Amino acid sequence: MKTIHTKRKIFLFTLSILCTFSASADEKYEQLANEVEALKKQLEQVQSALKQYQEESITKKEVQELNQKLEESVITQDDVDELEKQVAEAGEWNSPNTLIHMAGYANVGYASDSESYSIGSFSPIFHYQYRDKVMLESELEIKIDEDGSTDIALEYLTIDYFLNDYVTVVAGKFLSPVGQFRQNIHPSWINKLASAPPGFGHDGAAPLSDVGFQLRGGFDFDNSSANYAFYVSNGPRLIAAQEHDDEFEIDGIEAEGFSSDNDGEKTFGGRLGFLPFKGFELGLSFATGKATVTEVELEEDVHAFKSLAFGTPGDEGEEIDLHDEVARDYDVFGIDFAYQNNGFELRGEYLKSKVGAADEGITASHGATWETWYTQGSYLIPNTRWEPVIRYSDFTSATESRSQQQWALGMNYLFTNSFIGKATYEFNDGAFDTNADEDRWLLQLAYGF
Amino acid sequence: MKLFNQINIEPSFKTLLFIAALFIGSNSIAADYPEKGDFQKGAKAWAENCVRCHNLRDPKDLRDDQWVTTAFHMRVRAGLTGQKTRDILTFLQESNNPPRPIKASIKSSDAENKNSLTGQEVYEQTCVACHGKDGKGTVPGAPDFTDSEGVLSQSDEVLMKHITEGFKSKNSPMAMPAKGGNPLLTETDLSNVIIYMKSEFKK
Repeated sequence: MKTIHTKRKIFLFTLSILCTFSASADEKYEQLANEVEALKKQLEQVQSALKQYQEESITKKEVQELNQKLEESVITQDDVDELEKQVAEAGEWNSPNTLIHMAGYANVGYASDSESYSIGSFSPIFHYQYRDKVMLESELEIKIDEDGSTDIALEYLTIDYFLNDYVTVVAGKFLSPVGQFRQNIHPSWINKLASAPPGFGHDGAAPLSDVGFQLRGGFDFDNSSANYAFYVSNGPRLIAAQEHDDEFEIDGIEAEGFSSDNDGEKTFGGRLGFLPFKGFELGLSFATGKATVTEVELEEDVHAFKSLAFGTPGDEGEEIDLHDEVARDYDVFGIDFAYQNNGFELRGEYLKSKVGAADEGITASHGATWETWYTQGSYLIPNTRWEPVIRYSDFTSATESRSQQQWALGMNYLFTNSFIGKATYEFNDGAFDTNADEDRWLLQLAYGF
Repeated sequence: MKLFNQINIEPSFKTLLFIAALFIGSNSIAADYPEKGDFQKGAKAWAENCVRCHNLRDPKDLRDDQWVTTAFHMRVRAGLTGQKTRDILTFLQESNNPPRPIKASIKSSDAENKNSLTGQEVYEQTCVACHGKDGKGTVPGAPDFTDSEGVLSQSDEVLMKHITEGFKSKNSPMAMPAKGGNPLLTETDLSNVIIYMKSEFKK
């Protein structure tokens, strides 16, 4: 029995040893498998890196090609010099001593009173400038008459010498600096209505232009500025109308720029403008001098002007000599203002022209006064191109039939800032059965360039 | 005229004497041409003076050389000083250039290396002339920044694009020039001014 027990023990012992060895082999196998798997992954990574390296590396041939391209792309000093030369030549138009430029404006339209389409005017402005020393400015006004003929007028021709930063000498025929409308607002692309305010055109109260010289300029202060224009000129001429055989009245002032001074009396005038704060300008204007009758409107034919200054025969062949006409006092006073703020504009102007009496001469008569004013408001509606305008004008003429009160309403459309479509309606109140009393529509396209 | 009558010299002769004295007495001849003006002052002067009589002309309406004659014409018309004329001319000439593309990857240019301006500095130097201190606009077409649903409600990216390239609203009579007309402004400057405008004006 004892032998049997011993054999069983030996068997069990051997079996346990075998089991132990078996478990140890499994673990080693598992470990080896893991190592093989890790080596596989590393091998894949190495292969991938090698492939990427092969893809990103360049051949010797490619290196040579790149070097050649690099050499070709290097900019040498000669290249820079050549480029600078080309740039300078290309900009020659931009920096010569003399610059030439044509600006101007034009307008076309329709008027209901004449039931006609019309060419308002074509007004080219020529600028010839030598550095910042001098500029020649000239504006022509080209119009077509009712009979189809073309009228050309010299609106102004001045040589402007820029004396220093504050003074410019302007010599020649210039737009009258009295007031604002005539010298700055009348161009059709600037004027917000299709017509000038009554009294600011021909036969009005405001002088239009003159021949002489001006000193113009401005001064800047901390938060304000001022501008000025003072002139000496040949001055205006007068038209007398024959009332009866030996009775005359002053019928009008011709202040349109004459290149001769028939009476030798110079006119002095000017305007001072103050801009006390942003958006507001106040102007004071004046002119004073002498003016003489040089034309007479005869009673027999009120439509026919006869120039008698140099002894032109009258209707009956009578020699009428106006050489002895007395130079009368001529005085103008004006005040104007303008205010702008973000599309809103309010401006106004008052002008009074006065001619004194004459005790001697064929046209001896009492004096005469012309007076006009207007106020105009406009507003560019935000985020639109529409601009409503309203203006009231009151013109009192020495010739009563030309006096006129006017309400003008307008609606503008700004195609661009200098290309404007205007629709204006005028409510006119003047002498009965005259043009001054007739309401009318005006349509206008105005273009400033 | 009474004065002339009291002195026994022909008025026309006096006039000539006066002109001669004026020319001889002038020791401040106009500066050599073309002397560059101040861009920021020019922007302000342009916005404040041109509109005194007419609608503002877009700087892109004319070439640089055309602006020279036009500016000197307006110097005579509007009674501008020579310096103000040069300032306005500089603003117009620098504002009519086509926008330069910004290359975000290039940071080594002089423009990028210069010290950036604060948003307030950019606004007060370049934007204020047209947009106003209160952001409500001083010229026709300038938007109201204080409008809660206005332009500042747009994303920074859109505003940056509009400022960088210039922008014209649908019904605005004129366009804002690229970078407000100041080509020296950097991308950082523009970012700063967008932040400033939104914090200052947007309700």
